Amino acid sequence: MTVVAFPTRTPRYGGPVVTEAVTFDDEHDTSVEDVAARLVAGDETALEEVYDRWSALVHTYAHRALGDAHDAEDATQQVFVAAWHSRHTLTPSPSALPAWLIGIARHKISDVRAARARDARRAEAAITVDGVGITSEQSAEHDVAEQLVIRQVVQDLPDPRKTILFLAFWEGQSHAEISESTGLPLGTVKSHVRRGLIHIQQQLEGVRRESR
Amino acid sequence: MSHAELDDLAGLALDRDDVSPDVQRHVDGCLQCTEAVDAFAAARALAGGGPLVAPPQHVRAQVMTHVRRGTPDARSAAIPLPVALESHPRARRGISPWLAGIAAALALLAGLGLGRLTGEPAPTPEAVDPGTVVAAADLTALDSDAARGVASAVETADAVTLRVSAEELGDGDGVHEVWLINVDGKRMVAIGLLASGDEGQFEVPLGLIDKGYRIVDISVEPDDGDPTHSGVSLARGELA
Repeated sequence: MTVVAFPTRTPRYGGPVVTEAVTFDDEHDTSVEDVAARLVAGDETALEEVYDRWSALVHTYAHRALGDAHDAEDATQQVFVAAWHSRHTLTPSPSALPAWLIGIARHKISDVRAARARDARRAEAAITVDGVGITSEQSAEHDVAEQLVIRQVVQDLPDPRKTILFLAFWEGQSHAEISESTGLPLGTVKSHVRRGLIHIQQQLEGVRRESR
Repeated sequence: MSHAELDDLAGLALDRDDVSPDVQRHVDGCLQCTEAVDAFAAARALAGGGPLVAPPQHVRAQVMTHVRRGTPDARSAAIPLPVALESHPRARRGISPWLAGIAAALALLAGLGLGRLTGEPAPTPEAVDPGTVVAAADLTALDSDAARGVASAVETADAVTLRVSAEELGDGDGVHEVWLINVDGKRMVAIGLLASGDEGQFEVPLGLIDKGYRIVDISVEPDDGDPTHSGVSLARGELA
């Protein structure tokens, strides 16, 4: 088990949030680094764990980007096979795995697109829309990837924070409504939402940093 | 006033009125804090995205099949698994060194009795390959001395063939996989499946047995896609 020196309290904000890896005790997930290290070492069971944890993220991303169920399945398969063969390029860190997998998925998605474009050109169709279409598609896709990463981050949180965040951010409930439905004090709900948002933002930053 | 706490910055991104006026005033005049609030607000705006949809079940099996079939490099990287598992007690399916140690001890006991058995004819016909039997083992159950067949190592010019002739492995579910466990109790390699009945021949590299991979083990493997030893051994014996 990795020992990480945690700050004893939330440090005062003293610089861009994004550069500090501030982590709360209850949120630090050493299992991610552990499974990443085993993957790099060539442990096939680690690949299974990685698949079980992140295949839905990769698959949903591919499906949204490609708009075709069959292509999304193929891309998902290729991403994890490619992940295995290039596991030596992974540097274990808490955000590295999702960032790395999303990065591989991006490549596979553009491969599929390139193949489709070739087919399209052969059919002498859709050449004129190409240039404009792709840029807006890519930026929308970037948002999709981040939305999915956030969804995963929240799903991985322990309760009650997970439920509270789903109610607040996905169901759009007010803090008072959440307090009512969960029976937790209003202050506790607020604190969970804030800390949850901090956690989301930090994970997102980690993924952005890793995928640069 | 010094910079605002992270908690307050996140609070500002969620509901401005939830944060004290002092903090609000500071943040309004502070570029760093404002940027942080903006970053939280942007993250908040991205929360709410659609559900994650798992791929169909068969994709997982396809991935693992590809990986196992993979390149020789991937294959050999996968072989020293039990060593990796050993340092990760959470992994469920490695053979514990403890178990392997017991096996080694059992096999040693079995080996002591082998003097009598070496004169026995090899269990499989030698018609195909007139190599020399260089080592043999009688296989027994792990929890008793019940006989489970024999194994012999036959050396030809460029390889060693392990011939396994097992018996009474039972007819439970799962396939029977043959392993060579190193006498150091830490390393093992899978050498193949008993594909038809209880008999099988497996070529192994020259020198493998000399490196200590002397314990023949037959496991029963469920069809779960997990390439590691199931931990359930039906028979063992040490080549001597």
